[in-house]
Amino acid sequence: MIVFEHVGKRYGGRSEALADINFRVGRGEMLFLTGHSGAGKSSLLRLIMRLEKPSRGRVLVAGHDLDRFHLSQIPYYRRQIGVVFQDHQLLFDRSVFANVALPLEIQGVEPREAARRVRAALDKVGLLYRETALPIELSSGERQRIGIARAVVNKPSLLLADEPTGNLDPQLSADIMRLFEDFNRIGTTVMVASHDLALITRLRHRVLRLREGRLVGDEEAA
Amino acid sequence: MTRRTTSSESQRPARRGARASQVGLESRTRAWLRHHRAMWLDSAQRLAKRPLSSLLTMLAIAIALVLPSGLWLALDSARLLDAELDESATVTVYLDTRLDEREAMDVAARLRDQAPVAGARLVTAAEGLAEFQQGVGLEDALASLEDNPLPAAVVVTPADTDPDSVRVLASNLEAVEGVDEARVDLAWLERLRRLAELGQRLALALAGLFGLGVLLVVGNTIRLAVESRRQEIEVVTLIGATHAFVRRPFLYSGAWYGLGGGVLAIVLLVLGGHWLSAPVTALAESYGAHFTLPRLGFGGSVLLCFCSTLLGWLGAWLAVGRHLADIKPR
Repeated sequence: MIVFEHVGKRYGGRSEALADINFRVGRGEMLFLTGHSGAGKSSLLRLIMRLEKPSRGRVLVAGHDLDRFHLSQIPYYRRQIGVVFQDHQLLFDRSVFANVALPLEIQGVEPREAARRVRAALDKVGLLYRETALPIELSSGERQRIGIARAVVNKPSLLLADEPTGNLDPQLSADIMRLFEDFNRIGTTVMVASHDLALITRLRHRVLRLREGRLVGDEEAA
Repeated sequence: MTRRTTSSESQRPARRGARASQVGLESRTRAWLRHHRAMWLDSAQRLAKRPLSSLLTMLAIAIALVLPSGLWLALDSARLLDAELDESATVTVYLDTRLDEREAMDVAARLRDQAPVAGARLVTAAEGLAEFQQGVGLEDALASLEDNPLPAAVVVTPADTDPDSVRVLASNLEAVEGVDEARVDLAWLERLRRLAELGQRLALALAGLFGLGVLLVVGNTIRLAVESRRQEIEVVTLIGATHAFVRRPFLYSGAWYGLGGGVLAIVLLVLGGHWLSAPVTALAESYGAHFTLPRLGFGGSVLLCFCSTLLGWLGAWLAVGRHLADIKPR
């Protein structure tokens, strides 16, 4: 599903954010990406989302060399990836329902079908009863689950999460991780960047370890 | 590792072009229209939510539109006046005083046959004297004269009223036998023409400048709108919105601003017309002319609204295009 070949990324004249990264992720796999802040986790995710191009090497996702995409193709590529952010990135001027419906609106899904899928996604994260609420009325754990519902509403084949439990207590974090495992169980490839080592170790998935832009560990699931 | 069985084949982006457009053209068109309708409404609601600032923007646009369109209207009326003046652009040909009435008629007939002459009217010496007496009110003084001192004259209407050709015609007419002098008074006509031309150029320059002004006003307003919705733009870009999708609500906002500005400009023009019409009519009457200020009319109003809407849309397009390039998701 994801292939990194000798990938390097340099911002401006500073030292390399990523250097000679090589790894493969199979379809339907679930794995963690870990390392201290500044180790390059976010840069790596940004490369997969095609927000940036690598300075060196190649990134392939679902068989496509991301470097070869024409600018106009990138939006269509991104629609296949669900992304969960640390700060959830919900829009505060509209309801929970409208937030989750956003990817479907962008894709032009017919409203009745969209409503059905939004409710299914909200149900999956256990917040169907909150559909008319505004994000401001929700707790941070709930907001993060809405962010996840939005990421999965169009059934992406790849789900990326950047520190999804960064602001949550251990109990909520575990709940969020369980959600990711559920989506992985139905076939979604899931990649979670997190520095919460205690949580990661407990969950027994493959772990990619980054340090100062280099891949220093690739531990298979126990 | 490959537990995944659902078909992600159909979602691949690289080859989605032809097939996707065959399969879903109709539903995609529907989705496209749906989004247009939604954004059309959404942008209007956003403007309505902040009525004062929207109104101020529209007023700025309206003021920028009023000046060139007002001048254009004034020139239009000047053109009407000019057409009337063309009819009075005549050459007065004075005949030799020694000719008698018969000979004068012959000369008049000869003048009428000249190529660029549209018409020629003979004013005999006696008629001339009568006209002169009426016009000037010197009956007593003129009556005391023994002889009629006035020559017979032919008033020639040129076919071509262009000042240069009228002048050429006059010198040709002077060469005709029995003609003493051909007189043209073109200076004031020419001056008026030059003034009209100057006005026309001024109107064009103003239209260009103020059109640019409208673009800047809308562009600046849209720039602020883009800035205030930055997070939203970043998020939708992250989840796969095309540039067209992101741009659409702003284009509609720009078009609304333009349309509102156009309507306000029409209101201002109508009010201004009422304000000016009484003194203008009085002024024209003091010159013995009948003249009323021209109105924009239905066609003109539609044209003005269309142009202002287009300008608003274009201003938004330029602003969004420039700022979308700046906004990159973090």
